[in-house]
Amino acid sequence: MRVLVIEDDAGLRSQLVDDLKGAGYVVDAAADGEEGVYFGREYDYDAAIVDLGLPKRDGIGVIKTLRGTGRRMPILILTARSHWQDKVAGLEAGADDYLTKPFHMEELRARLNALMRRAAGHASPVISAGPIALDTARKEVRVDAEPVELTAFEYRVLEYLVMNAARVVSKTELTDHLYEQDFDRDSNTIEVFIGRLRKKLDPDGALNPIRTVRGQGYRFSLESPR
Amino acid sequence: MLVLVVGLGLTGYVLDRSFGASVVAGANEQLKLLIYSLLGAAEEEGDTLMFPAAPLEPRFEQPESGLYAIVTDVSGNLVWQSPSLQFGSALSMSIPKPPSAKKLPAGHFLFREIDGRYEMFYRVIWETEGDQVFTFRVITDETPFRAAIASFRQTLLFGLAAVGLALMAAQFFAVRWGLRPVGAMAGHIRAIEGGARERMGRDYPPELLGLARNIDRFIDHEVESRERYRKAMDDLAHSLKTPLAVFRNALDAGRFDDLKLLRDQLDRMETTVAHQLSRAMTARPVVLADRTAPAPIADRLIKALNTAYMEKGVSVEQRIPAELALRCDERDLMEMLGNLLENAFKYCRSKISVSAEPGALVRLLIDDDGPGVPPNQRLRMLERGARGDTIEAGQGIGLAVVAELASNYRGALAIDESPLGGARVMLDLPGAA
Repeated sequence: MRVLVIEDDAGLRSQLVDDLKGAGYVVDAAADGEEGVYFGREYDYDAAIVDLGLPKRDGIGVIKTLRGTGRRMPILILTARSHWQDKVAGLEAGADDYLTKPFHMEELRARLNALMRRAAGHASPVISAGPIALDTARKEVRVDAEPVELTAFEYRVLEYLVMNAARVVSKTELTDHLYEQDFDRDSNTIEVFIGRLRKKLDPDGALNPIRTVRGQGYRFSLESPR
Repeated sequence: MLVLVVGLGLTGYVLDRSFGASVVAGANEQLKLLIYSLLGAAEEEGDTLMFPAAPLEPRFEQPESGLYAIVTDVSGNLVWQSPSLQFGSALSMSIPKPPSAKKLPAGHFLFREIDGRYEMFYRVIWETEGDQVFTFRVITDETPFRAAIASFRQTLLFGLAAVGLALMAAQFFAVRWGLRPVGAMAGHIRAIEGGARERMGRDYPPELLGLARNIDRFIDHEVESRERYRKAMDDLAHSLKTPLAVFRNALDAGRFDDLKLLRDQLDRMETTVAHQLSRAMTARPVVLADRTAPAPIADRLIKALNTAYMEKGVSVEQRIPAELALRCDERDLMEMLGNLLENAFKYCRSKISVSAEPGALVRLLIDDDGPGVPPNQRLRMLERGARGDTIEAGQGIGLAVVAELASNYRGALAIDESPLGGARVMLDLPGAA
């Protein structure tokens, strides 16, 4: 999952970036509103964290601009001022949730998760698709109620495909959303991971949860109840 | 000033008109009398009338005297005219015909003002053999009458102007003298600003006493809020000292194994900062409070909270009447309702109800179907933020801020049991008309 962080305080910004990267997210960080809008327009994110008290374009303006250009990813606002006027204004401008500083990083991650899951249309943290159950809160997978061991990266690939199950996901998109910029990316790596996932989830080949769409990408093809 | 000018102008106009009318009425009477005297002097001679050579009225004898008489018969032929009217003179040439029988029936007078003259007509039926009809006419020059009016007008103008000036001067001095206490008040306010004086006091005429009292109330409020602010800052500094000390000690001793202790100190500091800051912020004078409607604010907050708590799927019943208004600042009301509604969303199971009981002090009720608050904790909850207890600090601070804000408006906050099964929070605030 790719996340955009727009935070002007250098200390908090590096904390957020480090923590989120540690949790497996791909993170882009902007130090002010203008840079934030630029990033938001240029790249596709799965979620954004915006600080309301930004220099050079206040947070509410950034949210309005992003929404105005058609960006639909969930937005979590951070605000040092706990005044309700600001929180309501942020939510009315298009944000989906708010957190007041100071906060616990676990809470931030939990809320971010919930937002992304909600945006994909899943009301509960556990997404079931056929015999496969994905617990997005615990980052665990079960097939037919039996836990399946996945590496962190394998889990993230699966999660991304499940959250975007309504469409075909290209290899480029997977790479953009799961790999840091400076990583040595090779599209073959993705194929390897898909292969491993298939083997772990579907050793008998009966389910075929991840379908290859020739020339386009992959698609998680089991029906998940909404 | 304008009233004075208009008043005097109207008076002058009315006086002028009535004088003019009485002058004309006088002329009217005069001419009538002259006609009567002519009637008396006339003697019939066959089918015509004769007038004695003896002077009836001296001015009828003097040529161009300004007073003339003419008698004509039924066909308009001249029977007699006064010697003052000379044949061939410009005047005799220009005299218009008498009015017709219709306009002037016999036995009636007709007065007419024409060409700078007053004319009085009288048609008479002389009862001799065969009724003869004669028209008597007296003409007088307007000039003397006009002159009288003009001279009156001049006197009137001067008189009114003089009265006007005198009144204006009197008004000026009266206003100056009347406004002296206001000037004194302004002086007192400047003295208060300069520090020479502390309050307005009561030494004012009754009309200004109300204003003086309001100013004093304003001053008291400002003093009170400055005190609160100072106190909040004091408390803040004071309550930070201990956790800071603990921290410093741990650092100095190089003891980082007891992370829980350090984290607790941090929590304490955070809680204190949040609480005292909101206490300081709420110390704003609210002598002149706005009129705010709670219903639309509640709707906005509920919508926003529904977005943030979408997963929980809370159903909210908002029953505050749309026209209900409170005497409260909009931001403060949003702050109070925001905190209370957020708590309701956090702790409810799935249902919230928002309603109001009207009165001089309006009571807003927020009910939820959550676990509620045990009776022995209700009072403590409202004070929690003040003592810096850290468990559930979030809710504690929120409620303490609301209680603080409500007391600013001389309102109140209380917790009770809800018919929905959870907590009922009651917020009392002054209502607006």
